[in-house]
Amino acid sequence: MIKRGQLVAMAALLALAILPVWILPAGAQQTDRAKQIGGKLVCGVGTSMCNCRQILTQCNHVGCMNSSAMLKTLDQKVGKGDAEESILQAFILEYGREVLAEPPKSGFNMIAWLMPSFYLLGGMVLVVLVISRWRRRPAAQAAGTSAAASQLSPELLERARAEAARETED
Amino acid sequence: MDVFGSFALILAFVCAAYAFAGGIAAIVTRHPLLIKSTRQAGIATCCLIFLGTFSLEYLFFTDNFSVAYVVSHSNRDLSTFYKVAALWSGMEGSLLFWSFLLAIYVISVLIAYRNKNGELMPYVGMVMAGVQLFFLTLNNFVESPFKALGVSGADGVMNFVSRTDGNGLNPLLQYPEMVIHPPNLYSGYTGFTIPFAFALGALLARYPGEKWIHLTRKWTMIAWMFQSAGIVLGAHWAYAVLGWGGYWGWDPVENASLLPWLTGTAFLHSVMMQEKRGMMKVWNVWLVFCTFLLCILGTFLTRSGVVSSVHAFAQSNIGPWFVGFMGIVLLVCLGAYLKNRDYLKSENQLDSVISRESSFLFNNLVLLVLCIAVLSGTLFPVFSEWFTGDRISVGAPFFNKVNIPAGLLLLFLTGVGPLLAWRKTSTESMKRNFGGPLAVGLLTGVIAFGFGFRAFYSLICLILCMFVAATIVLEFYRGAKVIRARSGASFAACAIDLTMRNTRRYGGYIVHVGMVFVFIGLSGAAFNRDIQKGMQIGQSMQIGPYTLVLQGADSKPEKNYTAQRMLVEVLRDNKPMMMMFPEKRNFVTNKENGTMVAIYSTLKEDLYVVFAGEDPETNLPVIHAFLNPLVKWIWFGGVVVVFGTIVALLPNRRAVLVLAGAPQPAAHPAGQRLPSPVALREGHD
Repeated sequence: MIKRGQLVAMAALLALAILPVWILPAGAQQTDRAKQIGGKLVCGVGTSMCNCRQILTQCNHVGCMNSSAMLKTLDQKVGKGDAEESILQAFILEYGREVLAEPPKSGFNMIAWLMPSFYLLGGMVLVVLVISRWRRRPAAQAAGTSAAASQLSPELLERARAEAARETED
Repeated sequence: MDVFGSFALILAFVCAAYAFAGGIAAIVTRHPLLIKSTRQAGIATCCLIFLGTFSLEYLFFTDNFSVAYVVSHSNRDLSTFYKVAALWSGMEGSLLFWSFLLAIYVISVLIAYRNKNGELMPYVGMVMAGVQLFFLTLNNFVESPFKALGVSGADGVMNFVSRTDGNGLNPLLQYPEMVIHPPNLYSGYTGFTIPFAFALGALLARYPGEKWIHLTRKWTMIAWMFQSAGIVLGAHWAYAVLGWGGYWGWDPVENASLLPWLTGTAFLHSVMMQEKRGMMKVWNVWLVFCTFLLCILGTFLTRSGVVSSVHAFAQSNIGPWFVGFMGIVLLVCLGAYLKNRDYLKSENQLDSVISRESSFLFNNLVLLVLCIAVLSGTLFPVFSEWFTGDRISVGAPFFNKVNIPAGLLLLFLTGVGPLLAWRKTSTESMKRNFGGPLAVGLLTGVIAFGFGFRAFYSLICLILCMFVAATIVLEFYRGAKVIRARSGASFAACAIDLTMRNTRRYGGYIVHVGMVFVFIGLSGAAFNRDIQKGMQIGQSMQIGPYTLVLQGADSKPEKNYTAQRMLVEVLRDNKPMMMMFPEKRNFVTNKENGTMVAIYSTLKEDLYVVFAGEDPETNLPVIHAFLNPLVKWIWFGGVVVVFGTIVALLPNRRAVLVLAGAPQPAAHPAGQRLPSPVALREGHD
């Protein structure tokens, strides 16, 4: 038989599960092409007017001198129905490669993309190695512990064990 | 007063030099008088920095336009409130403010521990004085805020002059949060100096691990709390002032503030391994070192012009000083580690792979990967230019692609970690602990998917948020249930009692709840929408359930600026709801513009309305409206994180009672080391 406390806990967990449906919108907005392509570009490059380097469609530089002109060009190209690749190439021709908001996935710049995965995988291997090394280490070799333990009185040792048990319980 | 301020800073430099050099001599000779005098010199340094800082503030308040820094960052009509903020609005003042906040920490440490930790404190004082010496060098000889305003005459001689009014404060900084955000962020940056001083001092002195780690943890939590508050306030400022509808743009200055926060967070978790199991000592020491170095790196990045950012200070020649300082710090840390690394040997072994220890290792790994990914992404344009000669940009799309999966993995570990037991977790325990939360997470996913929630990362984020929230709710429920069985009090009262009995553990859970709120808020970004339109009076536009009608425009002259306001009526389901007043501010003195966004914020969404200027072709006012779901959860989460940290800093109620009545153990044999009751009781999860 289910106890009252368990019922309350289950009801609370169910309420927790349903909560997001109440607070979240049903679907994502249909993003238009200009916004999507503009999200791949930065403004404020290739010119001495402003060096803000903000995402073109999200430029937060108050008084930015580049974003309006670039957005206008972008809207025109999207309006003409140009392909995304050709629009990006046109911007690269005008402002240089740094107009792209992310590094190209080729050549030296590929390192930027590979590095985080390399860190994560390398780190995982390292953690696994550390864990297996710690597991292999015999208790007697652990620095200080065995030597100190042999000098402790049984009463103190028992007290320490009780403390440790209390503090490390689930 | 400018001469007085300059003199105070010069004297502070002399005192810091004595505290540093005398500190080294005191450590070598162990002479009690020398130890005392260096401590007094440390206190004097702090007092003199306070005097220097107050002098600069006095110059702002009295409109002393014979000082170049005051001319550049203030004017007569600037309100007193913002004259306080003018102190840190420029390079010179911000560096003095760094010294000022550091001095508050240093004097607190020197006074709080004047009769404690006698073996360690000379080392700590020496390290703190070394850091102060560096910043005072900058304050006095590189970027002095007290330079007189000078004009070069026809004969080439510099003449000191005074202006009738100043250039005024940057409009972007004339916002209430700018008076709160930088002090918080700087308190975080400067605060990490204290754990660094304790860690380096303890390593140099070979001080017992459990003692220094206990001292360091508290100061790290204080600095971490300020850093968290500073980051959230900065995000809120960017959201409310810059008018772009977002709060985090992965700008180098934003990234710089995140880096020490990530390593500081890693330390606050891995420190438990050292306290409870005597493990990860090397790792902890290096985490503290890295956190401090990242604070200095962040200060360097925002001031050197190495990376481009609209939020950075003006470019200056300050870079080599910081590089030199970081190099020296790194060498000292490396030297101290190599000399005393045997002192950092681990004391315990790992019993099982499925244990709290392992989860902390993975938690630290993910935090470090996030930190390195953000750092390398921020600096990659510089490296790319060095190696290829081609300058590239690394912007938000890159950081989002790299960091979102790692962030979600971290969120998952936030839920898993507390459910695992130290040493070893049994299968039964895992079933018992994971069943409910996992069910809640999956149920959430199914329901959300069924209701058309399709954004992949947001859906995963939501599932994990609910999983983590359920684990925390269950933890509180189980603990409160035990107390309730004995006391019969209400669940809420028992939960509070439970928290106060083990503030660190349950304060930590509250911080996790705050992080869940932040992640819920972040997940809403996938559903942002916006609309921009040049509008005539009486015209309307629709966004979500809201209809915005431009009812008019007016101009409102204020003391320091003139506000051009748009009067926007908001209707919901065709029923009038409220008026919103987005505005542009034209600052008279420096002829610059500022934005003031109108935001209607609810837990579900923010209606965010910006007056984006006039269309150059039609001369019509352009209104840009955003509907941003869940943003309020981020700010609320930030408040909960700070609250949780404060709770975790409080002493345990039970610990105090038990200690008061605890029998003192009999005299221990020489060399015997048993963790003190304080160390054991405070070493919770």
